[in-house]
Amino acid sequence: MNNAFLALARKLGKKIKPPGKFSGGKEEKKREEKVREKYDPGGSLRERLDQVKERLGESSDVVVRQFASGNGRVRVAVVFIDGLVDKKIIHDHIIRPIQSERLTGKASELNRSNALETLQQHLTSGGELWVAPDLTQALKRVLSGDTALLIDGEIKILVFGTRFWQGRMVDEPATEAAVRGPREGFTETIRVNTSLLRRRIHHEKLRFETMKAGRRTGTDIMLVYIDDVVNRRVLEEVRRRVAAIDTDSILESGYIEEFIEDSPWSMFPQIEHTERADKAAAAILEGRVVILTDNTPFALIVPTSFFQFIQASEDYYERPFVGFALRLLRLFVLNVALMFPAIYVAVVSFHQEMLPTPLLLSIAATREGVPFPAVGEALLMEGTFEVLREAGVRLPKTVGQAISIVGGLIVGDAAIRAGIVSPAMVIVVSATAISTFAIPAFNASIALRLLRFPLLILAGIMGLYGVIFGLLIMLLHLASLQSFGVPYLSPLVHGTYDDIMKTFARPPWWMSIKRPRLLATSDPRRQSATVHTRPAPGYERELFHDAAEDNSDAGKR
Amino acid sequence: MPEKGKISPRQAGELMFITTTSAAILLMPAITAEAAGRDAWLSVMAGTMSGFVPLAIITWLSSRHPGRTLFQYCEDILGRIPGKAVALSFVWFFLHVNAIIVRQFGDFLATAFLPETPLSVFNFSLVLLAALATHYGLETIARANEFIILLVVSSLLTIVTLSVVHWDPRTFFPIMAEGAGPVFRGALLPAYFSGQIITLAVILPYLTRPGQGVFSGAAALLGTVIILTTGVIAVQAVFGPEFTAAMRFPIHLFVRTINIGDVLTRFEPLVMVTWVAGVFVKASVFYYCAALGLAQVFGLGEYRPLVLSLGVIIAAFSITLFADVTELTFFLARVGPFYGYLYSLGLPLLLLAVSLIRGLLAGRQEEKQDG
Repeated sequence: MNNAFLALARKLGKKIKPPGKFSGGKEEKKREEKVREKYDPGGSLRERLDQVKERLGESSDVVVRQFASGNGRVRVAVVFIDGLVDKKIIHDHIIRPIQSERLTGKASELNRSNALETLQQHLTSGGELWVAPDLTQALKRVLSGDTALLIDGEIKILVFGTRFWQGRMVDEPATEAAVRGPREGFTETIRVNTSLLRRRIHHEKLRFETMKAGRRTGTDIMLVYIDDVVNRRVLEEVRRRVAAIDTDSILESGYIEEFIEDSPWSMFPQIEHTERADKAAAAILEGRVVILTDNTPFALIVPTSFFQFIQASEDYYERPFVGFALRLLRLFVLNVALMFPAIYVAVVSFHQEMLPTPLLLSIAATREGVPFPAVGEALLMEGTFEVLREAGVRLPKTVGQAISIVGGLIVGDAAIRAGIVSPAMVIVVSATAISTFAIPAFNASIALRLLRFPLLILAGIMGLYGVIFGLLIMLLHLASLQSFGVPYLSPLVHGTYDDIMKTFARPPWWMSIKRPRLLATSDPRRQSATVHTRPAPGYERELFHDAAEDNSDAGKR
Repeated sequence: MPEKGKISPRQAGELMFITTTSAAILLMPAITAEAAGRDAWLSVMAGTMSGFVPLAIITWLSSRHPGRTLFQYCEDILGRIPGKAVALSFVWFFLHVNAIIVRQFGDFLATAFLPETPLSVFNFSLVLLAALATHYGLETIARANEFIILLVVSSLLTIVTLSVVHWDPRTFFPIMAEGAGPVFRGALLPAYFSGQIITLAVILPYLTRPGQGVFSGAAALLGTVIILTTGVIAVQAVFGPEFTAAMRFPIHLFVRTINIGDVLTRFEPLVMVTWVAGVFVKASVFYYCAALGLAQVFGLGEYRPLVLSLGVIIAAFSITLFADVTELTFFLARVGPFYGYLYSLGLPLLLLAVSLIRGLLAGRQEEKQDG
């Protein structure tokens, strides 16, 4: 906007002083000097340490240690936050070399005038080192776990990379367990997570692009992608949206998800998240962008399509047939979780003629004496189940079991005996409940669980037509969604035959030649052609037969 | 531009297929069987094939006026005021047909599935759905349709396949015993349904490759010919022509005859799902065309504000147009076809003729100037 304004001003032939740091005006310089006076009063160590104290306050974890160099000519101080640093590095590589005279010959040359250069070049031996121009920059790094070295009489500040803190070990992901496949999940430390990804993709084009969000939390966010695979427009869009986040706190990737998703008012999650390092790596290799957030083990994957939620990373490690069968099963289960109670209610209350007579009779027999209409019964039971589930999740494990026994077994059984609900309804509700747990993605299954209730009510009002009415509204809504330029229902919606097959059938790896077409990646091919290493000519025979024939030949001779 | 989305030629073809198929499949067997008797399937085949004529006209028109919808080139061709009048009459046609579609939908559900529910519940809820679809726009309708088309085609093929055991081929012979007259009379209604391909003239400019619109339309019509002929043959092979003609919704009863080992019975919900989903898409397409047309005739930048008010008109019409199902069937059998031809064949032909003459005149003038 500034530029446009300037251009306009130029057009009008007026002279307008350009704002910002490009100004050469005297006022600007004066103001800068004032700031410098306030924060960097001449470089005197004592005054600047006072300044540090003023800005960080009397926090108990802020450590300021003053000492003199070995020859006593230069006074320095280190500032770090206890608990975020590796004290051994500070001690062995910063404090000791400066204090000790004997370590190098250069130490004797140290004096006030060459302090910065000598310390930087010869004396200290930290792995990472930055020269911060002023205290503000240095303190930013100190608050992330680095160590600042302040030198008496020097305005610039040396900052050493000393980040180290107690984090959770790399552990098996709790939310996405797998029978076969790597057991490493992301942790809360972003550096560990990047290493997990880098270890899986050794390619030079793998990029970690750091951004920061959260004015007070200053959370690190990383966009991870392969430079020559990802679609540039998707990447630009992700960058733009993440950069536009303006909030003071980012505590979990869920915050980011809500800030950057396409339709914030939708019930459906439009960004997939994962705790599994292998899943994130697979997404990156497919041409998607993974967003890592510091302090949370959940990485976001964009763009996302709905059918990703019925896929588990294990599908790709087991044999293709297993993957195919499991995906069909999940698709079925997804439908059960969404509409089974609604269809039951519709059929029992409006379309009894659709059931085979014996089944209808047995259902009618169990419903005898039940005081509620089917829809009320279903709402009651579904509601009870949701309460049970919620109670079980939040309680400690030992108590949780008691809840499920009392709630599920005793109350359920008693309710049937008392004739308040019918056994058929209990079967329907429990089948639905189990189905919701069989959907791999928790966020998708929550959406379906919630949408079950409006469908139930529609079924109670208008029967099967109501169910279809509700489903069509959902279909329309799903069809209207996009995630970063990719239709949410893709590849069912204008995907190629290849993509559709891949979504529902998981072809063998040697047949997976192309990346998903709708991601429009810069490098659409994964491999040159269908390659499956078959036995070389002459090696098709059994080893045993070969050996036996050799022997008989020998006997003849 | 009121519409910013684009759809692929494939999506356009699928939309046209559903538009010409979905409502027809339920009502047509009875009406054509009444007119053409044994030769109903020939009528359907011939009648549906006739849709290629309007398709040729509208794609020709569209290639002469690239990037313009039906409503826009009405003005280009006929001049401002007459063009607007013709475009408005097209809007009226889309609205009116939409009301008829909604009425068919409501009548079927109220007759066959939920007899105690008043008609208005079905009509209003369908209009609501279609309004929502129109509000979301062409892209969303096309995407939702890609899912629905799978449902419609697979369920129709399923019920036809399962009914094969009851087929009696004798009902088809002798072919054309009474000559071509009945076949021609029976072809009127199928021709009306396939003439609804005129909606393609509205969405053609919004294709990613408008040049391929001809192929999408042709593929849609071919699909319609196959599906509708198969449906009519199946119904007739099971019931025979007289019984088919006597029923109101033969497909519905036809499904009840399916019984595989006492387990696979009762496929009516499948028919209902197919019918509701298919007709929903069809109603959305017409609704969309009407809303877009009105916006373009009056030069509005956005059609969405019109959606709800149009919905009220459609819903009200759908109730008041006909007193009962018999009247609706009568209209569809006797009046509807000719009314439809006026808009799917007559007016487009007029537009094409004027456009061609104007082109010729303009060419001569240029020659004169050059010479």
